[in-house]
Amino acid sequence: MTVESGYGNRQRNTTYGHPLKPVYGPDDVTQVDYARDLGSPGQYPYTRGVRPFGYREREWTRRQVVGLGTAEETNQRLRYLFEQGQTGFSVCGMGYAPYESSDSRSEGVLGRGGVWIDTVRDIETLFEGIDVAKVTINQIGASLPVFAMILAEADRRGVAYANLHGTIQNVVMPGGEGEQLRGNHCIDIIEFCTRHMPHWNHTSISARNLRDQGLSSVQEVAFGIYQGLFTLRAALARGFEVDAVAPRITFFFSAENELLEEVAKYRAARRLWSRLMSERFGSRDERSQLLRFHVQTSALSLTLQQPLNNIIRATIHALAAVMGGAQSLSVNSFDEVIAIPAPAAAMLSLRTQQIIAGETDVAAIADPLGGSYCIEALTNEIEAETRLLLERLENMPELKAWQFMADEADEAGYRRQHAVDAGERTMVGVNRYRITDEEEQELGPQPREGSSYSPAWRQKQIARLERAKRERDPQRVEAAKKLLVEAYGARVNIVPPMVEAVKACLSIGEIASLLAGVAGWEELKRRHGLYLQLY
Amino acid sequence: MRRIRFLLVADSPGHTTGYYVVGRALREAGVEVILGGYARPEEIVETALQEDVDCIGLRIMDREPVMLVSRLRQLLSERGLPDMRVVVGGIIAGSDIGRLKKLGVEAVFRPGAKLGDIVAQVSVRL
Repeated sequence: MTVESGYGNRQRNTTYGHPLKPVYGPDDVTQVDYARDLGSPGQYPYTRGVRPFGYREREWTRRQVVGLGTAEETNQRLRYLFEQGQTGFSVCGMGYAPYESSDSRSEGVLGRGGVWIDTVRDIETLFEGIDVAKVTINQIGASLPVFAMILAEADRRGVAYANLHGTIQNVVMPGGEGEQLRGNHCIDIIEFCTRHMPHWNHTSISARNLRDQGLSSVQEVAFGIYQGLFTLRAALARGFEVDAVAPRITFFFSAENELLEEVAKYRAARRLWSRLMSERFGSRDERSQLLRFHVQTSALSLTLQQPLNNIIRATIHALAAVMGGAQSLSVNSFDEVIAIPAPAAAMLSLRTQQIIAGETDVAAIADPLGGSYCIEALTNEIEAETRLLLERLENMPELKAWQFMADEADEAGYRRQHAVDAGERTMVGVNRYRITDEEEQELGPQPREGSSYSPAWRQKQIARLERAKRERDPQRVEAAKKLLVEAYGARVNIVPPMVEAVKACLSIGEIASLLAGVAGWEELKRRHGLYLQLY
Repeated sequence: MRRIRFLLVADSPGHTTGYYVVGRALREAGVEVILGGYARPEEIVETALQEDVDCIGLRIMDREPVMLVSRLRQLLSERGLPDMRVVVGGIIAGSDIGRLKKLGVEAVFRPGAKLGDIVAQVSVRL
């Protein structure tokens, strides 16, 4: 029998490189003033949460990511999950490609990296049997045509925009056409939502995907808050008051293995954001000061080896999110490291959330770890370190700052892989407690394959597109094209003409080509960012 | 003896951690790495010809691996590179490994692969 020597003599560090003490006590929290630094849940500076009674007041949204095949396959899986207790809509793949399904570039990819959308008919199918006024809708990515299609679908059902609840993964990045138009279509979305959609989060800062490259908790929060402030400043330049736009700026964080540090991270992020809104931007509306966030659990820490272990990891991640006060949660499937999750694995992710919510009572108490010596010490440390890194970023020219964030993430991924290869960072099943494939088989049946890709999805989608085009009104198409081109040239807010374009049943591919004709592909990429560059 | 010239490409943009980490490890091991970024099979073959590479490394995340590699092999043959070395890595189901090997893929690296093993595989002189 081997004796584990793990903790005794080895120094343990936080992800940002500070030593973890073996014991924390009153001396570590002498600077904490309850009223000033914590406040009760629902009180400034919101360290302990955004609501006085935490999840008793409102539970977090169960928002598993779905997206495979055509709108029909994704709709089926969505409806099944809703029947099983999912409460939020979150679909990936929508509008990622700037061409039609019939383009040869879609071969082998259509439906694998998310659902495929060509026209508003696909969005109608996607939402079939789902009450758009009741669920909260999360649009992954910030495809403008897709956003317009969601609005068109609300119109078709007679639901007022003001009654829609949801989030678009929208963020303003450098570039654009001067201060007023910085962020281009991203700022158009913010403007439109601010005027017409009071319950729609017009901004969602995706710090999570950077974190999932291997960053530290401090980098995740600092980069997220930097991007949040960048977006806010763009909206102020468009002429909005801070309290008009800040309440609908939201964040998207990861949840990693280091459970206690993660809980401290969410608390530090909430405190820092509310202080910045109040001290630096003079916000008066408390809603501007609330940092609300969605969590998608880590993918980086999942392993192909002994994949059932990922269920345990994801549960720890989900616990961190819940004890940290997340508003919305998506638990990664244990088999996503292998392929598209199998239906049973997707269900298990939802059940993980439901077990935490219904069986453990960790959600019955707001900020359950608040007051713990180590949690408060880590919260202080993360806030202080984040402020330093934020200051460093803000002293850089903006393009340099964005490049810095990307470079740091790459560097972190490289260092992390070396640490795993060298055995300095434990990954059970990878660099410790390995077993051979044969030994694994001897333990009994192992789920290893996920869902398989179906080439038939592409044929089906092309048929859907052809039918949509056959049935549309050619005169309305021409009028909508003209309207869109004029609006694009004149640089008025692009959202209303885009809604008309998708209602006329223009495809995303057609819209992209049309706009590229006005501005050129390079300019189009600048205006629309990432989501016209994929695939 | 000239250094190995290795073309590293990805099947989609974004989510580039693995791509970056592998590229950097190979460079530090003395391999001449040409970063092709996100590229379609037509573009991969074109770059392979222009850059006169010895081996292509393809990161697969979004595309169906067997369809993608079949297309790549077909184009390589058409352009006079039927013996081009190809290694792949990424989100690849176990059941695809055999089919990829039949298409002449030298090695399939999945999550958990060590950088040292990738470097050793690419650096091997046939």
